[in-house]
Amino acid sequence: MTFLEKQTDPTSPMHWRGDMQADYLYPNGWAGDRFFKNLRDKGTFLATRCPKCSKVLFPARLYCEDCFVEIPENNWIEVPTSGIVRLYTFAKLDAHWEPLEKPRCMALIDIEGTDGSILGVLDVEETDEDLTGLPVEALLRPVKEREGTMKDIVCFKPSV
Amino acid sequence: MSRKVCVIGVGYSDFNSMTPDIQWKEMMYGACQKAYRDAGIDVRKDVDSFITCGEDYWEGFSIFDEFVPDQIGAVLRPCMTITGDGLYGLGTAYMQIKTGLLDTVLVEAHSKISDLLTPGEIMLHAMDPIFDRPVTGPVQRPRYGGSPTYTKEEPKPLIGATDEKQRVHPYFLAGMEMQHYLRTTGTTEEHCAQIVAKNKQAAFHNPMADYEANITAEDVMGSQYLFKPLKSLEISPNVDGAIAFVLASEERARELGVEPLYMSGFGWCSDTPWLGTREFDGGYAAKAARMAYKMSRIERPREMIDIAEVDDRFSFKELQHLEALDLAKPGEGAMLLEDGELGRDGSIPTNVSGGSLGVGNCYEATGLQKALEIVVQLRGEAGRRQVDDAEIGLAQAWRGIPSNSGAVAIFQKGGA
Repeated sequence: MTFLEKQTDPTSPMHWRGDMQADYLYPNGWAGDRFFKNLRDKGTFLATRCPKCSKVLFPARLYCEDCFVEIPENNWIEVPTSGIVRLYTFAKLDAHWEPLEKPRCMALIDIEGTDGSILGVLDVEETDEDLTGLPVEALLRPVKEREGTMKDIVCFKPSV
Repeated sequence: MSRKVCVIGVGYSDFNSMTPDIQWKEMMYGACQKAYRDAGIDVRKDVDSFITCGEDYWEGFSIFDEFVPDQIGAVLRPCMTITGDGLYGLGTAYMQIKTGLLDTVLVEAHSKISDLLTPGEIMLHAMDPIFDRPVTGPVQRPRYGGSPTYTKEEPKPLIGATDEKQRVHPYFLAGMEMQHYLRTTGTTEEHCAQIVAKNKQAAFHNPMADYEANITAEDVMGSQYLFKPLKSLEISPNVDGAIAFVLASEERARELGVEPLYMSGFGWCSDTPWLGTREFDGGYAAKAARMAYKMSRIERPREMIDIAEVDDRFSFKELQHLEALDLAKPGEGAMLLEDGELGRDGSIPTNVSGGSLGVGNCYEATGLQKALEIVVQLRGEAGRRQVDDAEIGLAQAWRGIPSNSGAVAIFQKGGA
């Protein structure tokens, strides 16, 4: 380093302990509102079909990220709350690098009838089996408890 | 004819797992002083523009760019901060010099991650707040805007207390991607473990490295699954440190009597933030490389690149990136590793610095750590880890979890 003298007493360095309050209201947006209100009220997922490339965008969006075109009103479609496991892992640590109570299977689920997927917790015990391609369906909160957020999806369960 | 851009000075601080004795400003000052000395310039007279790379959330400041001019010699001078990896800083400096308006530019990036007590929580804030973040675990936040009121009975939660417990660490995304990489390429967990052993062993010859270790692939295989199949030793541990580069036009380098070392190409690319529409195949690195190769007139990267420093913040990422960079065919990374081609004496020496697994994860400074190694190697100053006849080198960095973005820079000894 460039300084002539440095701290050499390990008990000497001092600091100011700061923190940061950061609370937000994140708007769902037009497409998000419609998606979550539908989830809350009808218990299904919504997707949108790009008029140019015909990709089925999921979760429903107002524009196609490949073609950069808007989605017309009649291109909204209802899709089932089921799909197959695309990616997954068994996570053991929380955000503070402390062990989770039990390993949690985090998964990206390809939603049936769409070209998109959604993040979810998979309700399975830890296994060495390859879960890729496993058919799963969403377990939703009872209608009365739904609030129109991702919390309405309790988890994904293997289809029976 | 377009002017050429050279690296005329580099400097770096000590790298340590924690640095409670020194402030981030002092760390930056030290790295920049060394770079100015290396270039043989007077910062207050000779530098036309200053670029730092930092992320408000990591740093613990809003508007971090306000906090940088004094410790780098940039008070009342053109100065900017890029919210991204240091390679983006190099690319921006490259373009500034290419315009012909500026001759000498400073680029700095650093990690003072040990100052941050809640890096996992901050990283969760990088995930989509509507669709992804709620899935990471229980969140019981006030259902209104503005400050919640805390009472004696319900005090403000302490770090890690109450509502923040049991939210999964965002590194789960690396575990998912590794599972996908192994399944689609036929690469094994053992191969990934070998990457860790290779890099941590290589780090013994890099005085800058903080995480050198005499370990074998078996040791790595025996370490705990944290985000299965990702194991604890396959995750690059955090490190603090600052790195500075001085870039200049070729004419300026010659005026200063510095042997030109050229930055001949740069590319960058951002994939979609939506997890659900990504390919998880390092496509961002492939496209960034294509752009940089074209600029550098590199038609056959596998033959022409003499040394590569690629992002290895998780073991499998080194192999995935090598393949994306067209330095290996898809799925061929593991074979090159087995054949010793990625070692110092191999045909494509990769992360001989020890990489992020050996040096440590220095966050926004990751790209500059990779670029620094290339510069040191092309100068022939790498000591026992020196790669013979290194003429063209590649540095690549990824933006880290949860991103799918990154940049590539190419450096050449002569000609360019």
